[in-house]
Amino acid sequence: MRRLTRCLASLVIAVALWLCASTNVTQAAPDAAVRWDVPQLMSALRQVKSATARFVERKHLHMMDKPLEVSGTLLYLAPDQLQKITIWPNWERLAVKQNLLTIEQDHEGNARTFSLTDHAEIGAFVESIRATLAGDLPTLTRFYAVTIEGDAADWRLLLLPKERKLQDLVKDIRIGGTGNNILMVETEEADGDRSVMSIVEEDIR
Amino acid sequence: MRKANRAALAVWVAALLACAAVIARTEISTDMSAFLPRSPSPGQQVLVDQVREGVVSRIVLLAIEGAPSDVLAALSRDMAARLRREPALVAVNNGEEAALDADRDFLWRNRYVLSPAVVPARFTVVGLRDALQRDQVMLSSGLAVLVKRALPSDPTGEMLTIIDQFAGDAPPHTRSDVWFSQDDSRALMMVQTRAAGFDIDGQQQALRLIEDAFRHARQAMPGAETAHLLETGPGVFAVRTRAAMQEDAERLSLIATILIAGVLLSAYRSLRLLMLGLLPVLCGALAGIAAVSLGFGFVHGITLGFGVTLMGESVDYAIYLFTQTAPGSQPADTLARIWPTLRLGVLTSVAGFSAMLFSTFTGFAQLGLFSITGLIVAVAVTRWLLPTLLPRGLTAIESRIFALGPLAVMRQARRLRPALLAWVLAAGTLLCFHHGGFWQEELSSLSPIPMRDQELDKKLRRDVGAPDVRYLVVATAASEQRALEASDRLSGLLRSMTEEKWLSGFDAPDRYLPSEKAQLARRAALPSEELLRAHLREALDGFGFRAELFAPFLADAAAASRAPPLVRASLPPHLSLKLGSLLFERHGDWVAMVPLRGMGEPRRVADRIAELNERGVVFVDLKGESDRLLQTYQREAALLSLVGGLVILGLLTLSLRSMSRVFLVAAPLAASVVSTMALLTFDGRKLSIFHLVGLLLIVAVGSNYCLFFERQRREGVQSERTVASLVLANLCTVIGFGVLSFSRIPVLHDIGVTVAAGALLSLFFGAILNAPRETRPSQDFGRISHNPTP
Repeated sequence: MRRLTRCLASLVIAVALWLCASTNVTQAAPDAAVRWDVPQLMSALRQVKSATARFVERKHLHMMDKPLEVSGTLLYLAPDQLQKITIWPNWERLAVKQNLLTIEQDHEGNARTFSLTDHAEIGAFVESIRATLAGDLPTLTRFYAVTIEGDAADWRLLLLPKERKLQDLVKDIRIGGTGNNILMVETEEADGDRSVMSIVEEDIR
Repeated sequence: MRKANRAALAVWVAALLACAAVIARTEISTDMSAFLPRSPSPGQQVLVDQVREGVVSRIVLLAIEGAPSDVLAALSRDMAARLRREPALVAVNNGEEAALDADRDFLWRNRYVLSPAVVPARFTVVGLRDALQRDQVMLSSGLAVLVKRALPSDPTGEMLTIIDQFAGDAPPHTRSDVWFSQDDSRALMMVQTRAAGFDIDGQQQALRLIEDAFRHARQAMPGAETAHLLETGPGVFAVRTRAAMQEDAERLSLIATILIAGVLLSAYRSLRLLMLGLLPVLCGALAGIAAVSLGFGFVHGITLGFGVTLMGESVDYAIYLFTQTAPGSQPADTLARIWPTLRLGVLTSVAGFSAMLFSTFTGFAQLGLFSITGLIVAVAVTRWLLPTLLPRGLTAIESRIFALGPLAVMRQARRLRPALLAWVLAAGTLLCFHHGGFWQEELSSLSPIPMRDQELDKKLRRDVGAPDVRYLVVATAASEQRALEASDRLSGLLRSMTEEKWLSGFDAPDRYLPSEKAQLARRAALPSEELLRAHLREALDGFGFRAELFAPFLADAAAASRAPPLVRASLPPHLSLKLGSLLFERHGDWVAMVPLRGMGEPRRVADRIAELNERGVVFVDLKGESDRLLQTYQREAALLSLVGGLVILGLLTLSLRSMSRVFLVAAPLAASVVSTMALLTFDGRKLSIFHLVGLLLIVAVGSNYCLFFERQRREGVQSERTVASLVLANLCTVIGFGVLSFSRIPVLHDIGVTVAAGALLSLFFGAILNAPRETRPSQDFGRISHNPTP
């Protein structure tokens, strides 16, 4: 069952990233010629109080002959509420609020709830999501080696887990965007499975 | 006469020796369940058993606080490691993962036997296609990572079914792999003792181990000096209650003895009289203990504590004798004069205490028998032995000072009567408008456990997510297998009710160990390896799953159908413990306990279980049972007090043969009962059943003073000596009961405070209502105590 814990951890990581991706910036786009660094990105994300976006996700799983595709909506409400609602092919809602992750797969109120603080590596990870959303770079770098490449018009954030427990689940996480927009989150799991999520922002405040 | 005296002496010595012999072999008990009823309903039996010996009674909750959380976590780990080496403790759990991994491994290996979803239909082509469809949904969902690793071995999702059953049993909050309270201020630990909850010596030993482990862990840890340990749980309460009881019995009797001896010495000014005066008390106490020991087979610690009141009351008889004997007259003459009144007084007291004899509380019945025996022996010693032992002419010196108060009151009686009437009316009005009922409605109010400790217990229970179970189903059967089969059936029923959302979940023994029947049925539901392979091949058609992905599933299913049956010994320690708390042997029967969680529709669940109409299956609402228990106590206490009061009234009527005389004795008593009730409740506090019994004892004890006052009034003589003797006797009684009101044990405290107040009021109300029309004090006080009479 340690497996389950690990699974859960990567699940949360994935959720967090989707939700991170759904955040955006309200500041004016910086000059494309100016070098875009991590602190600048953090400071931009800090401005977001709420956001809504659509997503399409392709999952390349070693168990399946062909990739699976899902799509739906992402919601973020500062400071600690995040939701990923899948609409196609099956309805599902993942919600993170404070220290709880809730997963619903039907409308009858049958929910699975997990406490994030009770799983050290997940807890650490959730803190790092919040740190990202809060633009708290020191906390983020406590868990990940954070590097950025490209410029403001086309940047790619690379997160490499520092902790062993996290490394067992996730190989790396790449977040790409242009200016203030997050357009893509790509997660590569330790077992080779890969997920690529494309995001279209709709409403940012 | 001399011959009779010698006979009395001989009887006394023989009786004393017999008492001593009985007491030497007496067992003192402090088990609080003596204060639970003797013939409870099945539901109450569950309650009582849980309190006495259930696994719940063996759990000690620990919290470490007062240091930074890193230090607390380290302390918790060190302490747990030390405690795990102790054979007196069955389990030590502080959240460290080790135990849970073994549990999960066990559940995984035995999933085809443990999952209630394993039925033949699940492994047909149709059943497998349904499962694969669900799997595909899962893989495309956020739960993908949750199922991905297990999928090749478990496409039908048996592990998930098993885990979902446990979903409501949220483990406590964890920090640094150790259980913590939500605010991280306390590290938490749960310890299960080998000793049962009622084995107080065993519990005490376990607590000592725990405290030692904590001390050593703290010494070994730098920066941990400020940390301290909190303990709670039934065993902790039992140990503390016993200590409090012993301390109270010793301390309070010592204080009462010193106070009463002081008062008597100041009145008698003679050590010899003091010793003689205490003789009836001593004999009464010895006889009381011996009688209880013979009648019940043991003496409760609380009964010994109650002995203090006997001292205050039985000393009265000697006081009447000594103080009312004027210099120059014979004690025997005094006795002959006061005997009818004294006898009636003793009879009313005995009638009052007799009511307690019929209580369903073993504890109350003991208090009753103890007091009755004590009083009768004390008055007998006073009547037949003291005159023999009393040196000729030895009487108490003048103690006018004691009589001053009541005499003043009696002189003003005419003016005080309207005031008394107004006072009683006011008290009565106050009672009528008392807000929200007189009676305490929580059983915990009868508990000897201080409120502070009860609250700490609640807090820690919330922290570890082990709230008190309120509803459970109990199945009793002739064998372990029968009990497990009942549990199988109940689980099936409860699962369907859970789906209907009548409750959110439950725990049951068959979850850890299904009955042999259920195990056989589940194994039989798995097709042969070839058949399953064929079904799967057909079912996989059209899905995108990689070929041969499910090879581990075919292997595991084949292994499961060949595996030996699961038995109790196969369970890992932690689950075995869990099973032990839900399935156990009691008095030759096997009991399966099914605690229910998140009850939305208790009524409907109860009805559905009743419809099962299965012998030995009971739905229990523990809160309801404990409330009913309290109501039973209250009704019983009220009934006993009423009957006791009526018997006393009957006795008075029979003896006094005059309604006006009965009125003069009973009215002050009624007034003091009403006043005491008003005093006890005027600030919004509520009455316990112990207060109620105390009210009866006011009548039983207070009647003595009123009887003497009434006799005086009838004789038209106001003797300062008599009044002084009444005050002295009353003072000793008030001291006896008053000292008891400092006890931490509710039964002693409540009775003490009620009777002390009521007895004092009875004296003054008796004086006011029985004052002679004209004051004609007799001059019967003498100065000389050694004055041989001619």
